[in-house]
Amino acid sequence: MNSVQQQEIQHFLERYFHANYCEMIESGPGYLTVQLTIELDKQLMNRPFYWHYLEKTGGIPNPLQLTMITNPEAAPKALKGETIHFGSPRLHQIFESTKKLAGYIRLYEKHKNTFGQQTPLRPWLGMNVRISYQCDRKRDVFRSIGLQLINGQMVEGFHDKLLELELTPKIPDYSFTLSPLIMPKSGMIRIQHFLQNEIDKEDHTWAEEATARWEKDLNLLEHFYKEMEEKEESYEIEKTALKEQYEPRINISIINGGLFYLTENAFQRSIVS
Amino acid sequence: MTVQINFDSSWQNEFLHRIEEDGPWGSWELYKLAIEVENHTIIPEFEGLQAPKHLSSLIPLPHQLEVAKQVVENMNGKAILADEVGLGKTIEAGLILKEYMIRGLVKKVLILVPASLVTQWAIELNSKFFIPAIAQRKSYVWEQCDVVVSSIDTAKRNPHKDIIYNQDYDLVIIDEAHKLKNNKTKNYEFVQKLKKKFCLLLTATPIQNRISEIFNLVSLLKPGHLGNEADFYEKYQKDSRSLDDNEYLKELVNKVMIRNRRADTGIEWTKRNVETLPIEFSKEERELYEAVTNLRGDGNWMSSSQFSVMTLQREACSSREAVFFTLRNMLQKKEEPTKEYQDKILYLITKVEEVQKNAKAEKALELIKQINDKVIIFTEYRATQMYLQWFLKQHGITSVPFRGGFRRGKKDWMRELFQKNAQVLIATEAGGEGINLQFCNHIINFDLPWNPMRLEQRIGRIHRLGQEKDVNIYNFAIKDTVEEHVLKLLYEKIHLFEKVIGDLDDILTKLDFGNIDDHLIDIFGKSSSEGEMRIKMDNLTSMIQFAEEMKAGEQRAATGNSAFS
Repeated sequence: MNSVQQQEIQHFLERYFHANYCEMIESGPGYLTVQLTIELDKQLMNRPFYWHYLEKTGGIPNPLQLTMITNPEAAPKALKGETIHFGSPRLHQIFESTKKLAGYIRLYEKHKNTFGQQTPLRPWLGMNVRISYQCDRKRDVFRSIGLQLINGQMVEGFHDKLLELELTPKIPDYSFTLSPLIMPKSGMIRIQHFLQNEIDKEDHTWAEEATARWEKDLNLLEHFYKEMEEKEESYEIEKTALKEQYEPRINISIINGGLFYLTENAFQRSIVS
Repeated sequence: MTVQINFDSSWQNEFLHRIEEDGPWGSWELYKLAIEVENHTIIPEFEGLQAPKHLSSLIPLPHQLEVAKQVVENMNGKAILADEVGLGKTIEAGLILKEYMIRGLVKKVLILVPASLVTQWAIELNSKFFIPAIAQRKSYVWEQCDVVVSSIDTAKRNPHKDIIYNQDYDLVIIDEAHKLKNNKTKNYEFVQKLKKKFCLLLTATPIQNRISEIFNLVSLLKPGHLGNEADFYEKYQKDSRSLDDNEYLKELVNKVMIRNRRADTGIEWTKRNVETLPIEFSKEERELYEAVTNLRGDGNWMSSSQFSVMTLQREACSSREAVFFTLRNMLQKKEEPTKEYQDKILYLITKVEEVQKNAKAEKALELIKQINDKVIIFTEYRATQMYLQWFLKQHGITSVPFRGGFRRGKKDWMRELFQKNAQVLIATEAGGEGINLQFCNHIINFDLPWNPMRLEQRIGRIHRLGQEKDVNIYNFAIKDTVEEHVLKLLYEKIHLFEKVIGDLDDILTKLDFGNIDDHLIDIFGKSSSEGEMRIKMDNLTSMIQFAEEMKAGEQRAATGNSAFS
């Protein structure tokens, strides 16, 4: 196992459980033990019958503890727990859970304007998307787009820019939010169109090549069955399968996103600093 | 070119709903973590393998990684994986499956393997690849589980068959795919009708006897790649001696097939020690053998029978029990047997009864005691198998039987018993495939199959990756019998033992050779005299030698040294 990667995993797990209000029972080099909350027990431990039973009988919930070993060489020898590595089902389950728990957000910029002056905060729609280019092969691209819902300004790399700001779930003192002129619904459509236009301009050699491969196999298939008067059932099955296999398509899925209320010059400041 | 774009709208609806309800909203820390996860799991390139990064306990060998890369990048996910026995085709298939799953190209998977390997496949996929594969036991599994392992014999039967036909599989993997070499079988038809996007066919012996076999396999994978049936036979069967045509065919086949040879892998293999042990019949055994052989001269009543003299001779070389079993069948199955027929058989049965000891079994016992370690005995006959088990027990040696017909659970159990509690495993031919026994390094071939491929399959059970010791193979042959002739021809004259089977594939492909079994039956079964037998045998040998010379010449030509060599 790659030890740098294992350390990253340990760090990630600590942050994940902390953000979900799980008590850290014990942690040390290469391992951690956490007390799950009811919420996380339900998400991770796959024991629906227990929870169902408990709800029916009104018993005292007893969520499990979870011990994870991120580096078997560093962790205590006698320790019992799940070995977690990149590719282990548990880690991917936690990855999925992270995305599920943080799909939608609303945040306000915590500005330092003082003197009791009221500061207006402008609404932004932020969307983080994965664009998958798929034929018989696949690649993904991550994009983060922000749209100001008053003047329609569009910003790329929005998430990275947000990371420069201090954000809070509660509206800060001496602030008020401006109402959007562009409704979130049409904002989402704008972002969608923007992405589609961008994608249309890209080089799609990959798709042309996939289509060529598709046609080639299709020709072979036609030839294979050409002398049969009535084409067999397997011909149609194969034909559909070839479409599934090769047809180029682009899937845009949204990882997460939300509403962000930011000061007027939020990004200028971050560029200057 | 414009490509169809699908925009996932489910997120948007939920988002609007939450705005309306004023939440609930996620935490900023988790939101940031989700994006970090995304950036970590995103795969920005079409090329390259992600799977190795996801495997903690398995370090694939270079040739296995190369196969996976080739299949994904250049073969569009449809391939025959035809490495020689023991090079890890399962690992290759696992890598490819994992790669497609990580990339989200494959979700629904059907894996068809011999019954005895179902559990092992499921365990390996789970433990080595972290793929939640399920061994099919209940019929709801087909629909509810994404990765299912089953035997083809179960899958092709209803109610399973109909459910399976309704599934759209992203990937179908078939182990021991050479069993699909005949396109007239139910198994073939079953596989042909599966809905499959990607497909992997695993076999160590893509061509056993005829090039039509490769045509059928390839047509299952990629119909039309080798033309349609009419084209193929016109082009290749008539002119199959022509090298140019075959070179072209080879090239075409290589587009959908990857075959690594042991020698190519650069791995240090443990050695194979092959020893032939000539054994003398006891007097009574010899008499039985001669009595059976003399049937050939006894008019033509045998020729109308489904039992051949050849069969009886081979059985006599194995055990009296095997002969008796056949004789009894001959009596029971013959409609209206003549008095002469009955007398003849009864006479032979008295000959069987006279036999008091089995020379091979004695030898086996001696050898097993001397080896003092785990041993696998292969025999072609169930009667011999049962006899041996009894015989060994009489001498205080524990053994377990193994047959192809055992149910899956029983096979696993027998393997386990052999590993933990017994010294000897006695397997019949059908048990040769589909079980891995690397923990053992001694094989006794109590009697020999006539098809060298089958012999390779036997040896491949133990001489594979994971075998740490040299492998010892003991071939038993009774002197001055048909068995010795076969051994001489197949295993000494052609040096097949030391050869990799791949060489034989080439030879068989180059010649319009016919089935090796047919040749042997003709030589040993239909010859009327030893002289005729010898001549036919010499003919066969020179045919094979001719093919080998052609191959050698071709190699010299290919390296450009022909003028100087």
